[in-house]
Amino acid sequence: MREALKVGISGVRGIVGKSFSPQVATEFAQAFGSFVGRGPVIVGRDTRTTGLMVENAVIAGLQSVGCQPILAGIVPTPTVLILVKELKARGGIAITASHNPAQWNALKFVGDNALFLNELRAEELISIYHAQDFSLVSESEIPQVTTIDAPMAPHYKAIENYVDFEKIRKKKYKVAIDCCNGVGAVHSVSFLRDHLGCEVVSVLDKPTGDFEREPEPTPESLTILCETIKQNQCDIGFAQDPDGDRLAIVDEKGVPLGEDFTLTLGIQQVLSAHGKGPVAVNLSSGKTVDYVAAQIGEKVIRTKIGEINVSETMLEIGAAAGGESNGGLIIPAVHACRDSYVSMAIILEMLADTGKSISALKASIPEYHIVKDKIRVSNDASLKILRAVRSHYQNEKLNLLDGVHVDFGDSWVHARRSNTEPVIRVMAEAPTKAKADELAKELRAIVTSNNLNQ
Amino acid sequence: MKMLRLSSSGLQGFAGTSLTPRDIIDYASALATHIQGGPVVVGRDTRYSSSMVYSAATSGLLNAGCDIIDLGICPTPMIQFAVRHYGAAAGLSITGGHKKAGWNSLNIINSEGSIFDPLSGQTVLDIFHSKDFLKADWKGMGKITQSDSFLLPYLDNLESCVNTEAIRAANFTVLMDPLGGAGAPYLTVFAERLGLKLVPINGDANGYLAREAEPRPRSAKQMASIIPYVKGDAGFLFSSDMVNMSLVTEKTEPKSEEYTFAVIANHILSKKQGTVVTNCCTSRMIDDISAQNKSPLVKTKVGQPYVLTTLADEQGVLGGEGNGVAVLPQAGPSFDGFIMTALVLEAMAENKATLSELVDALPSYYIVKKNVPCKSSKAYRALEHVEKIWRLDESADINIQDGLRIDSEHGWKYVRASRTEPMIRIISESKDQRLAEKEAEKIIRILEEVL
Repeated sequence: MREALKVGISGVRGIVGKSFSPQVATEFAQAFGSFVGRGPVIVGRDTRTTGLMVENAVIAGLQSVGCQPILAGIVPTPTVLILVKELKARGGIAITASHNPAQWNALKFVGDNALFLNELRAEELISIYHAQDFSLVSESEIPQVTTIDAPMAPHYKAIENYVDFEKIRKKKYKVAIDCCNGVGAVHSVSFLRDHLGCEVVSVLDKPTGDFEREPEPTPESLTILCETIKQNQCDIGFAQDPDGDRLAIVDEKGVPLGEDFTLTLGIQQVLSAHGKGPVAVNLSSGKTVDYVAAQIGEKVIRTKIGEINVSETMLEIGAAAGGESNGGLIIPAVHACRDSYVSMAIILEMLADTGKSISALKASIPEYHIVKDKIRVSNDASLKILRAVRSHYQNEKLNLLDGVHVDFGDSWVHARRSNTEPVIRVMAEAPTKAKADELAKELRAIVTSNNLNQ
Repeated sequence: MKMLRLSSSGLQGFAGTSLTPRDIIDYASALATHIQGGPVVVGRDTRYSSSMVYSAATSGLLNAGCDIIDLGICPTPMIQFAVRHYGAAAGLSITGGHKKAGWNSLNIINSEGSIFDPLSGQTVLDIFHSKDFLKADWKGMGKITQSDSFLLPYLDNLESCVNTEAIRAANFTVLMDPLGGAGAPYLTVFAERLGLKLVPINGDANGYLAREAEPRPRSAKQMASIIPYVKGDAGFLFSSDMVNMSLVTEKTEPKSEEYTFAVIANHILSKKQGTVVTNCCTSRMIDDISAQNKSPLVKTKVGQPYVLTTLADEQGVLGGEGNGVAVLPQAGPSFDGFIMTALVLEAMAENKATLSELVDALPSYYIVKKNVPCKSSKAYRALEHVEKIWRLDESADINIQDGLRIDSEHGWKYVRASRTEPMIRIISESKDQRLAEKEAEKIIRILEEVL
């Protein structure tokens, strides 16, 4: 099951040497080139050992259908999107399996609107792939490959136009960064030191693609960073995922805040220092977001799971900030995608503006407890299960965008089908651990009692 | 028409129809599987499709765990030399060769620097068809290294095979036209080694085909018109991969590519007798030159692998074909335009003769070469028809070694399906120009009956 090639809204991914082959990569590049039409296409990748192989397959596929590959090299995923906009490209391909382990790789597709393909566009791309309906061009129309000399420049410029770098530079913060041997290992030290004037202590900072910790920046995987912060008495620590779109924060005492606080604190800083506006987050994002938005008097819209769904909603409602609770803060004024670089800048700006420590900033937000679980179910049962959940909570405030989300005011539960695995994901959040456990238990009972496998 | 050709020595396809990245990746993966993921030397010419072919082939090789030694823009014979220099398991030359714009090919080279022989090439084809490819995991991916450290040893080897001193002393002015192809970046170092005053034509490595890709008299007009103004001693035209070469004399005469091998053979055999190897459709000049120099002549099927294999088997002194190629065994198992150029210049220098004098000293024949477009699926039917008509003359002695050939005291005629392009090739040669032309036209008429 886990070795299958996964083709879906978030792109195509698989394990190299098993399901993800150069043949698949080149034909998806051909399908994408045929979909966006002839013209320049930005190609960037993370540090995975298979990246160069996949990049070459993508280059050939693009050229064969008349798209000019513009190589950004090893860059964060948000940089690829920003380059598509900056260079008015037809689209972009990010070669990264994001938070998946090192043996995985993937293609993520960016449209000419500089956003990831939405569901409709992704479906069209996939049907071109399946039909092998590629628009091959004659030899004289095959474009030659070009390389971007300073691929990060437009990205940094967009952040600097939004965040006050000078204010951060004056503070001369001491920052620890965990690059996860990913794209951050190439760019993050120079970003923090040369652009934000920080003194930088870096770990997992060799761009080997051989990740020395779990690629997801969860609290449990950040022990090296936490230790480094304590030893070096840093003001703050940052941890990135391999492709640099998600960020986790560790406080000056070496305690991880939890990835959801990147979103919460980021939104708080945007609303208080950069102007107001509505907030959009996905259905799994926690109550702390509602708390900081309510302080400023802004409303929070919840969207379907999936980065592009959040991005599109944000643009639609003119959101000031938003994102995902997995460390994926989105600030549309910079670009409507998750971005660990603008996240680092905005959090440092928050320290400078408030003069508070990062632990004090977290402490100023009421505590909530989140319980997450997944229950393996028969695929045939999942619709029946979700109907049962819905009828159980029918008198409560329901949101049915993606599974069943039930809002009880100061607490909530959410049950949804996973897009990638045959499981139902259940979540509950409440002000106390006991309450969260109780809510989760109730929801879990409905799921299991309606599961055909039981 | 989908034009994809797979042969034992490589894959050929046409951009826009059949040259798909998938086929290229599959073929590179098949080669990689055959050599069990060993290191591969890769070079390419400047055709617009070559960088696409390069990227596709590279991804297939890396995925199988092959390390790549990337020579960048580099002609086939230099890649052949580099495979031996780096001790690689195989080589890959990406080039349109002498074919017209749109064509490109992957030519596979074995660890000895030879084009794959038919047997090993068939193994690669079998793997290609089975799609059962070697795949490395994420820790075993191949790496790419750029290198040009082969170049000095290559030039040293070239220098050791010819009389450099005599060539240098002659102070030749030489025109070279590499068709803006893989040879273009190396003209200057070559000329410096041999002390030549170089006049490059189409010498920028830009992939633009300013003339027909086959080095033939009709593609030599540019060069012929320039020679008098630069007081050139000799002119050399090449294919995109520096494999095929034709000559233009100091008197501005473009010579048929048949003269390349003949001039070199007349020179080499006059110094050292020994077995000569050529294919079954090369000019009778070679038969005469071999006989005059008391050297046995062995004929093979058409194509570099056949000539080179037989040359090694027979321990011959020289090999070559009528499409403008010659090989000196001690220089290495490749048809190399640079070495052929040096040999012609050596012939001029050592004999203190002009190029036109060397050409005029050769037996005089008139050769006609024609191509008739023909789908490959129809070619064998067409050839069977020619054979049937020829057999009506009971005295005809038809040679079927490779295609069909009839010899008579007045000359010979020959017809064969091209291995690389959808066409039938016709050759007719005689001392009498009108007879040669008449025989060629007769064959075309026979073919028209069935096509």
